[in-house]
Amino acid sequence: EDAERISSADVAVVEARRGMLQEWVDWHEGMEEELAEERAALGLPENPVEALLREKTAAVVADGEAKEQVVE
Amino acid sequence: MRPILLAGHERALTQIKYNPDGDLIFSVSKDQQICVWFAHNGERLGTYRGHQGAIWTIDVDPTSTILASGSADNTIRLWDIKTGKCLKAWDFPTAVKRVEFNEDGTQLLGVTEKRMGHLGTIVVLDVKIDVEAEQSDEKALTIVCDESKATVAGWSYLSKYIIAGHEDGSISQYDGKTGDLIYNIPIHELNQPITDLQWSQDRSYFITASKDKTAKLISAKDLEVLKNYPSDTPLNSATITPKKDFVILGGGQAAMDVTTTAARQGKFEARFYHKIFEDEIGRVRGHFGPLNTVAADPTGKGYASGGEDGYVRVHAFDKGYYDFMYEVERERQNRLAAAANA
Repeated sequence: EDAERISSADVAVVEARRGMLQEWVDWHEGMEEELAEERAALGLPENPVEALLREKTAAVVADGEAKEQVVE
Repeated sequence: MRPILLAGHERALTQIKYNPDGDLIFSVSKDQQICVWFAHNGERLGTYRGHQGAIWTIDVDPTSTILASGSADNTIRLWDIKTGKCLKAWDFPTAVKRVEFNEDGTQLLGVTEKRMGHLGTIVVLDVKIDVEAEQSDEKALTIVCDESKATVAGWSYLSKYIIAGHEDGSISQYDGKTGDLIYNIPIHELNQPITDLQWSQDRSYFITASKDKTAKLISAKDLEVLKNYPSDTPLNSATITPKKDFVILGGGQAAMDVTTTAARQGKFEARFYHKIFEDEIGRVRGHFGPLNTVAADPTGKGYASGGEDGYVRVHAFDKGYYDFMYEVERERQNRLAAAANA
């Protein structure tokens, strides 16, 4: 009887966690979608940091080429 | 794995920040120094000198080019990360307690302290992520906090909102462009100051730490409290770990605030909670005073804590950390894997 009570308590805990996980995943996926839509509507890149880093790399490369030309 | 102990500061740490690549750690302290360290071995790369008072806050732009700092000397300064050169100083009537770049590094916010004759404010500065560029003297925006001063603030996704945590335990959401107050909601216990506010990677939600001994996970869009993490000590800092669904809380009662018998040496701990299930899952000991700041490596490899004891402790996560999973998480992972294979 005790074992039964414990296992039914475990089931309740696991059920509650399953619910919490699903609720989180639903909220987060909804938020992600909304963010992607807002970004697209504003014409912004999907990942702002990646876009900035690409620009920086391009600038550094261009700078390097310019300097090389001066050396020649 | 044993933590790396960074012993370069002479006084209490105030804030720690990783750069976006997670290879550099920036730390500031009441000793008026900014230090930069290699995250993987704790080697100190250098210091940035110039502030004339305790430094309260620091931030790195998204491309790891410039650094912003705020100090009790009433200035915000910009630094060239590579050369250590001070690029710009903005003067304010009071100390600067928090700085943060927005997601594309075009704007920097600063939280200024309240003092006799001066209300606390949140200022916004236009910045150029370019060490050669002339930075503007003018403030783009000033938000005056006439109800309760802001203690911390940050930028949401798309720089749409400025979110502030206040001394009275409430949270405000301001329009990121106009500075208009949209909501102010009591979130933490009344008059228990909010001590930290850190973002999720996409800046859609954030975590607050408070002297009321709790940390909370809050949605940036509507300030809904998503999760609550109760602890047994006043909290100074809280951070969200990427890759794994954990949060790390830091705090502790200062020795002078408790009876000497209760002051347990070396027992100041970083607390790990499961972000979704809200359970405490572990503690990491080490500091000899309260933890003033915790920061998660943005690449998910570890975390760093800064203490009232003047030390920074850098921890690399081990296998057990990555393997740790609740049964229902494993179940979901297996289900997704099966769906992907089908």
